[in-house]
Amino acid sequence: MPDERFFEPEIETMPRAGIAALQEERILELVPHVYERSALVRKKWEEARVKPSDVNSLADFTERVPFITKDDIRQFRDRAQDPFGGLLCTDYADTTTVFSTSGTTGDATLYAHAWNRWHPFWAATARDLWEIGVRPGDYVLGSGFKMRGPLYHADHMVGAIPVLVNTGIGGWATALDAIRRYRPVYAQLTGLALAELDRLSRTTDMRELFSSFKGAAFAGEPLGARAREQLESWGVEVYLWTSTGDVTGAWECGQHDGCHAWEDCVLLESVDPAATTPATSAAVADGELGELVATSLDNPVTPMVRFRSDDIIRMTKQPCACGRTHARFWPVGRKGDETIVAGRSFVPMDIWRALEGVPETSTALFQLVRPAREIDELRVRVGYDPDTTTSVPDLRDRVSEAITAAVGVPPVLELLPEPELLARGRGGKLPRVVKA
Amino acid sequence: MTAASTAAAAATLPRPGPWGIGRYEVAGQLVYFEVSWGDWQRDVAWARAMLADHGVGPGVGPGSGLVIVSGMPESPWFDPFETAARELGAPYSIGEIYAFEAFRTGMYARRLPITLIFGIDRTVAEGLGDELAAVVARVPTIVARPDAAGLLAAAGARPFIVARVGPALAVECPHRSGAHLNDAEWTLAERGGELFLSTAGPRAHQVREAPLGLRGTLTEGPCGCGRSGQRVTIPEGK
Repeated sequence: MPDERFFEPEIETMPRAGIAALQEERILELVPHVYERSALVRKKWEEARVKPSDVNSLADFTERVPFITKDDIRQFRDRAQDPFGGLLCTDYADTTTVFSTSGTTGDATLYAHAWNRWHPFWAATARDLWEIGVRPGDYVLGSGFKMRGPLYHADHMVGAIPVLVNTGIGGWATALDAIRRYRPVYAQLTGLALAELDRLSRTTDMRELFSSFKGAAFAGEPLGARAREQLESWGVEVYLWTSTGDVTGAWECGQHDGCHAWEDCVLLESVDPAATTPATSAAVADGELGELVATSLDNPVTPMVRFRSDDIIRMTKQPCACGRTHARFWPVGRKGDETIVAGRSFVPMDIWRALEGVPETSTALFQLVRPAREIDELRVRVGYDPDTTTSVPDLRDRVSEAITAAVGVPPVLELLPEPELLARGRGGKLPRVVKA
Repeated sequence: MTAASTAAAAATLPRPGPWGIGRYEVAGQLVYFEVSWGDWQRDVAWARAMLADHGVGPGVGPGSGLVIVSGMPESPWFDPFETAARELGAPYSIGEIYAFEAFRTGMYARRLPITLIFGIDRTVAEGLGDELAAVVARVPTIVARPDAAGLLAAAGARPFIVARVGPALAVECPHRSGAHLNDAEWTLAERGGELFLSTAGPRAHQVREAPLGLRGTLTEGPCGCGRSGQRVTIPEGK
């Protein structure tokens, strides 16, 4: 039963030994389940000569069970003509919903659930909304996308009332009316929404507007320093959240010291990004850079099993000052985002920071056009605010200067009005690294 | 399990407010409407009956694959159909209504045994581009918004119609005599081709002869499906 502080106090503050015991119990149930039902798991395990009988503990699982990558899923899907890439453990007819990943890094991956009443992907999110302070009877802005299912189920779980209005591209001008009318305590924001709010802030008292808010969640991509400062200047406490290998979400708590992974729902590992097999991999030390590897503990329909997410994180299992004991992690970037141009290495965040410093591009809407990881020419597509840009040639010079200073290489720029670049977004996100 | 434990915790909490708040627009004016939990339950029951009439063979049921094309802000209209699909045992996917999300509707139709697409609009139909014809060829039943009907027909489909009518949803049955309104909840009037809505049921949102800013024609009397309520025909483009 929820208390003043936690939605599920016993689970959220469970001692580490209890979490490990719970995970081991679930893993030992999962192992025969997936081996018998998931065609991809069986193929990978047979290739690695691993049988369910080899896995008798959590340690066996992390030492012996092979990884599964997004490419494994795609290849299996294409070769076997299996839409689920060998992950589906039931008949399609026995699923309730089939949703998909955003598809920003390629063809979207399908995942299915069987459920009743509340969609399982958002179940643990009720804990996170409770942490933000959402309580029964509160209005919340029911924003976001439905590609991962009805996010407002989490609102309903905590007794809140979603105000379902358009907060997509071009929708925020009228969303402000809903905020004034219902005084919601929480909303979900994306980078694309922030670009729009930035423009609206020129004619709107944002501090007054957001005065009813206990917090806002932000997801989909990194939050730039300028954007965070801007939200804070409006009185909005921002809670970052991210995906844990497409298994569930991980949200910051009020300490804002890492995203909490709910370890009763996901087995989270951080491994050497260069490792290809369990034998050569070693879990990286607490706080060190590693790749997020996720195993579903609460989805028997399409469970991910040691799924390599390509997300680079720092993770700790030290208890949080908030009192929760589940692992926390800090997203650092995507594996493979590091780019080398003319012998110089950089990551997209370097360009992000450079653009934040130029007023007309301060929303940092950009795409690095990169056909390969090593490139001869730094091509960047940058969105600018047409309302405040008086001279595109002058802007081009200043943007070029800022990026050159950040990366050490002069860019080839394609400048587009922000709305044109926003139209290339998908699932609330603008792909930051594109091939063309 | 996490889903079970969080649901148990949620069950202990009061739900002092309505299911949610929706919004529609009439001649540039925003109209908010409350959907109570009771409204939502009755909407689900009606959606269940309407969905069971559609699809192939005996209608939507266990194993029928659905793509429901709707956006988050349309949930007051479309969530009852999602819930109904779940209750009928029909797996469903969501295709969002944005141009940049059109690929998702196409992807589901391409990869899954989809028997019904419900709610496709012109934005998604256009966004599918050359893939639209393949989607139409693969999916036996399409229930489309009025603005997509022409495009779909040109691609070889014979779509049924689903239309947002103010806070209500109208859905055409297989007898194609206009889109049914849930007449236990809503009543339409037509004057000079303009539609006006009144609440008929015990809904949280009570209106009397409210203008909708929509043109349409009404059909009264029995339908071949056995329902006797009003049907509305919305011209394409609305």
